[in-house]
Amino acid sequence: MNTLPTLRTRRDFLRSTILGGALSWTVPTFLANTFSSLQAAAANSATQIATGRDSTILVVLQMAGGNDGLNTVVPYANDHYHQARPRLALAEKDILRINDGLGLHKALSGLKEIYDAGQLAIVQGVGYPNPNRSHFRSTEIWQTASDAERFEKYGWLGRFFDNTCNGCDPTVAVTLGRQMPQALAAKKPTGICFDNPANYRFMQSGRADRSEMAATEESFRKLNEPDESFMENSGGSIGAIAGGAMRGDSPLDFIERTALDAQVSSDQIRAMASRVQNQASYPSSQLANSLKLVAKLIGGGLPTRVFYVSQGGYDTHTNQPGAHERLLTDLGGAVKAFVDDLKAQGNLQRVMVMTFSEFGRRVAENASQGTDHGAAAPMFIISHKVKAGLLGKYPSLAPSDLSRGDLQFTVDFRNVYAGVLEHWLKTRSETVLGRKCEPLALI
Amino acid sequence: MLEPITARQWDWTAAAHLLNRAGFGEPPAEIDRLVELGPDKAVSTLVDFEKIPDDTKDPDWAKPDPERFEKQRAARQAGEEERRRFQREQQQLQRQQITELRGWWLRRMAQGPRPLQEKLVLFWHGHFATSMEKVRDAYLMWRQNELFRRLAAGNWLQLLVEAGKDPAMLIWLDQAQSRRQKPNENFAREVMELFALGEGHYTERDITEAARAFTGWTLDPTRQRFVFRANLHDAGSKTIFGQTGNFNGEDVLRIIVAQPQAARFITARLWHYFAGEMPSPELNQALATVFRQGGNQFKPVLRAMFRSEEFYAPSLIRNQVKSPVQWLVGTVRMLESELPPPLACWALTRNLGQDLFAPPNVKGWDGGLSWITTNNLLSRYNQAATLVQGDLSMVAGAVRGNNPNMARRAANRLQDNPRSRVDVERILTVEQRTDKAALIAALEKRLLQSALKPRQAQALRDYLDDRGELDESDILGAIRLVMSTPEYQLT
Repeated sequence: MNTLPTLRTRRDFLRSTILGGALSWTVPTFLANTFSSLQAAAANSATQIATGRDSTILVVLQMAGGNDGLNTVVPYANDHYHQARPRLALAEKDILRINDGLGLHKALSGLKEIYDAGQLAIVQGVGYPNPNRSHFRSTEIWQTASDAERFEKYGWLGRFFDNTCNGCDPTVAVTLGRQMPQALAAKKPTGICFDNPANYRFMQSGRADRSEMAATEESFRKLNEPDESFMENSGGSIGAIAGGAMRGDSPLDFIERTALDAQVSSDQIRAMASRVQNQASYPSSQLANSLKLVAKLIGGGLPTRVFYVSQGGYDTHTNQPGAHERLLTDLGGAVKAFVDDLKAQGNLQRVMVMTFSEFGRRVAENASQGTDHGAAAPMFIISHKVKAGLLGKYPSLAPSDLSRGDLQFTVDFRNVYAGVLEHWLKTRSETVLGRKCEPLALI
Repeated sequence: MLEPITARQWDWTAAAHLLNRAGFGEPPAEIDRLVELGPDKAVSTLVDFEKIPDDTKDPDWAKPDPERFEKQRAARQAGEEERRRFQREQQQLQRQQITELRGWWLRRMAQGPRPLQEKLVLFWHGHFATSMEKVRDAYLMWRQNELFRRLAAGNWLQLLVEAGKDPAMLIWLDQAQSRRQKPNENFAREVMELFALGEGHYTERDITEAARAFTGWTLDPTRQRFVFRANLHDAGSKTIFGQTGNFNGEDVLRIIVAQPQAARFITARLWHYFAGEMPSPELNQALATVFRQGGNQFKPVLRAMFRSEEFYAPSLIRNQVKSPVQWLVGTVRMLESELPPPLACWALTRNLGQDLFAPPNVKGWDGGLSWITTNNLLSRYNQAATLVQGDLSMVAGAVRGNNPNMARRAANRLQDNPRSRVDVERILTVEQRTDKAALIAALEKRLLQSALKPRQAQALRDYLDDRGELDESDILGAIRLVMSTPEYQLT
């Protein structure tokens, strides 16, 4: 591990504060005492497998609501497709041609450019056995990588961090949004989430004067110190400070831990958001704003391994054509700008973007110019090293091959996860997924 | 199971717990009053809420607008420019009305005389999780809110039927567009999965069959009233949960409510909402039995719940994460202060992850620990300043949405409408305002109904000692600090 200018863990944060006061935080006395009795060597030897400024980064992009895969990666020459969708089917003029049978929705010109540059893989027909058509259950299945019949408490990314990182900096996982996705639920939850960097801090009332502010801030910190009992329980080991013992299960323990994570990450995030400049021009949308910030945090050197962003609105039961086109235009434009930005930064080779949606939509259109919940759909994977082009096999649209009106999957999404874990995050997928899954050869 | 708590077990902590959970929290004087009443009467004052007069007026726009849909149609046909103008006008009007509606409801929660009724309305809103984002009609959202109020502790089948025919719901789950030739399964699925039975207690076949039975439930031409259309209804034979017949929508709901799982499902949801954790199978069976014996009414089960020993288990007390609404409304009630203006209330709750009338999806809010992220926790700490010190600049940031113009206008409006701070003379005696130990004790009792950790009390004491002789802003600062603790996020 090389020496890094940024703080990577709670331990780093606390140590640097004690030694040099790198940040303007007041160090809780009991922590300072503990540290002074530890040898620096012991502090340095702790492992930080999951963090690191030069490691690979995964950006997960959730297309929430169930994206219509058929009108995204379009089998424009397929008769069954046109028969099932007399009003919604796209013709050759509505698509960006990939080959004689398939094309991308014309709104995805941004993705098409990435595709032409050899940096986009389209995994076709991704799904799982006994598909569930409920948004929540199917999202849960994708987030936890469980079988349709089994309920898992923790998310696949949460298990990744449980397995690879003990006492990581909370910023190893960053969610752009108000709520943490279930994919990051873990035995030892890690990661932060926020939607607006400007408000991501403890703020003073505008009426307070300077000395009042300092006093309030100091009192605030003392009131939010984690309880001393966790130190006693852990015997004051370094692991305790790094997070090992701050793992009580009560709501109060959880909130105390979150309070400390918030303090640690707040300064770093805000500094980077104002210091780092975007080097590409993004469209104006929530997804684009999220990706803009992700680019800044990557450029700023945050030790994040997983970023999680999402775009909602894909539940197109009614009047699909206009709505779907707007969503895909936003998606393609935002992702293209993000890729350009990372390239200008020189960080593109470190980043992989993976999209998913909880399900595709039914092959036949409904009576409201829309589509109902379906099953298998494509995923996009973007990376400079990706095995570009079409991966897997497009599911058959022949009525006899459909299952209750839905496409049958040809690639299990857990094989895609396994590929990402093994080939990109460089970790053993079996430990994370709890089973042997053949990793998809995506690199 | 469900043994009533005895008068001997009934104390200040128990009364405070009841008021926190069956309501949104109350100031010390109200807790004292309930202690005096004893457990049975205390529970009755909350559960028999219909006996308490409530003269809240409807919002003045809350009436049908039968021409609205016609006007919309006319505007659509009058060309692109006219259509756009009409759409803009409507959007602005709806935005204004839904903001007012949020304020109207929060005011009922924060100042109304029937806290349990409003807490149940909040439960049903989360349960049926209908969003303005799709319904786009504040009047319909208000109607649904009134439906939940009218049947808050009523009969389950009646509530399900009326919720199913509710115009906002007909739009929200696409039932209004379902027809015999192509039944839309959305409503049928969510009734079974989310509203009445839960995952794993029905088959896909039950859903497709039920969807056929619900066909014909739709909206009238004004799009503001339910109507049954026989020509859209599939009158054929259906088989649902093993029963076969020419069922209609009401029949399906009756069959669903009669499933043994239906009682267990809804009592578990209620217990979880009020107690803060899932009931044990034995406890839930006892609750389900009370529910069935009471003819599928909620009131008997609520009464049994709030009187039960189990509800006052030490492990439940002050161990539930406050929802953002609970946090806001409870603060206002406990501090005997006033709600900020509607726009600020909207910004506050939205910023904490609970946008009323706009739940994130049909499952509603996850609740519990998911309310607490690094982001939301910092927002709670910061927005405490809004409620205590009347500093609206703290929420202006939250109004900043995707539209900068709207954000600027909203921030200006907030600036023009500053609310007063907490009235320290009203809630604290002269002694409590001058003696630091007495102040800390008073704030612990009022805001936490329990003591801070010694270390935290010392930190607060240090803060006050630094201020010398206390003035109003020091006391407000101390209140804000108590609210900026992990402990205050629990109830």
